[in-house]
Amino acid sequence: MKIELKGLRHVYPTGDEALKGIDLVIEGTEPVAIIGQNGAGKTTIVKHFNGILRPTSGDVLINGESIGKRSTAKWSKEVGYVFQNPDDQLFLESVRKEFEFGPGQIGMPKQEIQERMEWVSELVGLSDKLDMHPFDLTATEKKFCTIGAIIMMNPGALIFDEPTCGQDVEGNERLRRIIETLKEKGKLCITISHDMKFVVDNFRRAIVMCKGKVLLDGDIETVFSQTEVLKQSFVSPPPITRVAQGAGFSETVFTTEAFMDAFEKYRKG
Amino acid sequence: MAKVTNTFVPKDTVIEHLNPMVKIIGVFSLGLGSLIFPNSYLGFAIVIGLFFVAGAAKLLKDFAKIMFGFGIPITVMLLFIQGCYSPKNVTIIADLGFAKVGLEGVLYALKIVSTLLVFLGAFYIMNKTTYTGKLVAALTGTGMPPKAGYLVLASLNVVPQMQRRMSVIQEAQSARGVETGGGMIARLKAYIPLLGPVVMSSLTDAQERGMTLETRGFGVKGVKQTSYVEVANTKLDKILKTILILFFVIVTVVSLLMRMNII
Amino acid sequence: MDKVVVEVKDFNFRYRQTKRKALKNINFTVKEGSFFCIIGSNGSGKSTLCNALVGLIPHYFVGKVSGDVIIDGVSAAESSIAGLSAKIGLVFQNPFNQLSYTAGSVAEELAYGLGNRGMSREEMIKKVEYVAKLMRIEHIIHKNPLELSGGQVQRVAFGSTFIMEPRILVLDECTTQLDPLGSEEIFDIVKELNQKGITVIMVDHDMERVARCADQIMVLDQGEVVAIDTPQNIFGNPEIAAHKIGIPDFATICRVLKEKGYTDKEIEVREEETIELVKEAMAG
Repeated sequence: MKIELKGLRHVYPTGDEALKGIDLVIEGTEPVAIIGQNGAGKTTIVKHFNGILRPTSGDVLINGESIGKRSTAKWSKEVGYVFQNPDDQLFLESVRKEFEFGPGQIGMPKQEIQERMEWVSELVGLSDKLDMHPFDLTATEKKFCTIGAIIMMNPGALIFDEPTCGQDVEGNERLRRIIETLKEKGKLCITISHDMKFVVDNFRRAIVMCKGKVLLDGDIETVFSQTEVLKQSFVSPPPITRVAQGAGFSETVFTTEAFMDAFEKYRKG
Repeated sequence: MAKVTNTFVPKDTVIEHLNPMVKIIGVFSLGLGSLIFPNSYLGFAIVIGLFFVAGAAKLLKDFAKIMFGFGIPITVMLLFIQGCYSPKNVTIIADLGFAKVGLEGVLYALKIVSTLLVFLGAFYIMNKTTYTGKLVAALTGTGMPPKAGYLVLASLNVVPQMQRRMSVIQEAQSARGVETGGGMIARLKAYIPLLGPVVMSSLTDAQERGMTLETRGFGVKGVKQTSYVEVANTKLDKILKTILILFFVIVTVVSLLMRMNII
Repeated sequence: MDKVVVEVKDFNFRYRQTKRKALKNINFTVKEGSFFCIIGSNGSGKSTLCNALVGLIPHYFVGKVSGDVIIDGVSAAESSIAGLSAKIGLVFQNPFNQLSYTAGSVAEELAYGLGNRGMSREEMIKKVEYVAKLMRIEHIIHKNPLELSGGQVQRVAFGSTFIMEPRILVLDECTTQLDPLGSEEIFDIVKELNQKGITVIMVDHDMERVARCADQIMVLDQGEVVAIDTPQNIFGNPEIAAHKIGIPDFATICRVLKEKGYTDKEIEVREEETIELVKEAMAG
């Protein structure tokens, strides 16, 4: 999977320039996190990946093909998009029907739908709730239902808009498994998140957006070591990283183990 | 996406600054007046008058669009149906070949059209020139129960909210392979299954909202609700109210006399 | 300062048409002016408890109730939701549903609750001005609340609760629509109010924030209270994780340093203190 942005600008009808010329390549299967303040352009940029929004100027290429060539419905085979608010996405009377809906729209054979149903419902933790009305699910389960409905469509890339919002420890753990499994299956996950702990636990590459531009783009160690630049976007590194920075370690650490390694090195030195 | 209600745009006109109660009384006094009046003359006279009011409210162009856009087709349709097929038809005034046009039906159709246009026109002007917050503040000021006032305002505000929701949901649908563009049929096909969930979620939202409002003191007993919006009641307002009420009383009396063939 | 303003005694609640009790034998007290946090996994009963504190249970939600909730000396069951609103205010999870849908501007939205109390217009204007400034929403005061962003609505919702001048504020994950900076701004306001003597009861998923703000933390698991203690004691005990609670990185670092014998200090749960502790441990 390859998503390529070339000088992407987007101006809303209100006149707000949400994206100010972005060049970016996202390729392969390595999950990517997009971070930044509200209003930085995170949702605007990912809504171009399946054509919900169209570039005002510049272009978006999906596997080399310009986004303008197909409708969003046609792109949905290639790029899946999980909306932030599950209530915007769910509308059928059972979880099973939600799962069948997207694949049915893109003409997936019945047999394949049934086969996918089993592992997808297992993956998102709704195996025993397939016949429930989505309305009766808890907020967390609803979110996983929307995620499942998109995975069912088997797109090459998946976009998650703030999946951690309102999740507890268990929910975050399940999200971690989902992202891992999708990577193993050769899918590209692109995730918007405010939760820096979640970002460093699950992603190797982070893109920091600020005022319609890409401020930083690289592996998480590089991104979170640039505290001064990060301040412009009001992003602060995860707590453990901040402690290491505060204590004067030059390593950018994200785990207790890495923290202790650095600590022991400096203590001896 | 176009908004259905909340179309108020401040234009700083005399009509706009009137007390909303004047406009409400106006809608009913003029509308009911033309309804009970035995023929359509009064109604059409009021419609002409409303054009002047719309002019004063700087709304003439939009107002004319609505009145002709709605008025002409409905007149043609009613004239045809009532004129040709009304059971009341006795006096034949024309023969179209396939049907005969009766005077009674034509008069009846004109009567309905004139009344409809008065209601529509007066309501349109009220809606366009009145800030809803002010409307409810005025209604509450008259001692209308807060719950009724809440219903009026909340239902006015709920439509644009549902439209907004609908467009977000459509986006989500297209991301799941539903073609939302294209022809009328394709659109309808995509639209209809969404109505259920939109209404359903609006209902649950409304329920939750009712709950949150109680925590803000809604429905507290023995207190007369006040409003942040200031509603002036000027001398002009008082005079207009009196005129409008008098108008209705006079029309009622005259109509009664006319129906009893005294005039 | 030791006056008890919230007292929950043997409280049980089961929603109608459900089998499991949402809250089981809840007992706790909150002292005036304190910052009391409630944590627990999704479905542990946090929101239900918030509803009980402001009287939505039993006055709005139907179900089987037993026990007492006493707010500033008044039994919630014997008072009314509107009556309790003068003492205790709740900022809900979904700010959009907290809008009255009757206001054409943010100012009217803020004033709505005051109108229900029959306050004069002059007084309202003063209060609206004050709260708008406090919530940093002066610049949007004439905008239609339905046209605001999620973060702005959250501030408006907060302001419209706070304008009722409750002495106790209950915050049920009230920053979900905000980004980190926006949440921090809201919490700065909350802390400021707390320092002025307002009692704060807060439900939140961000354990670092909870550890930083709370005087006392109550842990709920499946409708039951499993612990009430100071942040240091709650997060210093690694077994608390069994209740599906995240432990702040700060506490984890301190605990590992302690276990490896690099420090013998008490476990810290806040950033600054943890950095100090690490620096001291490095110096040996």
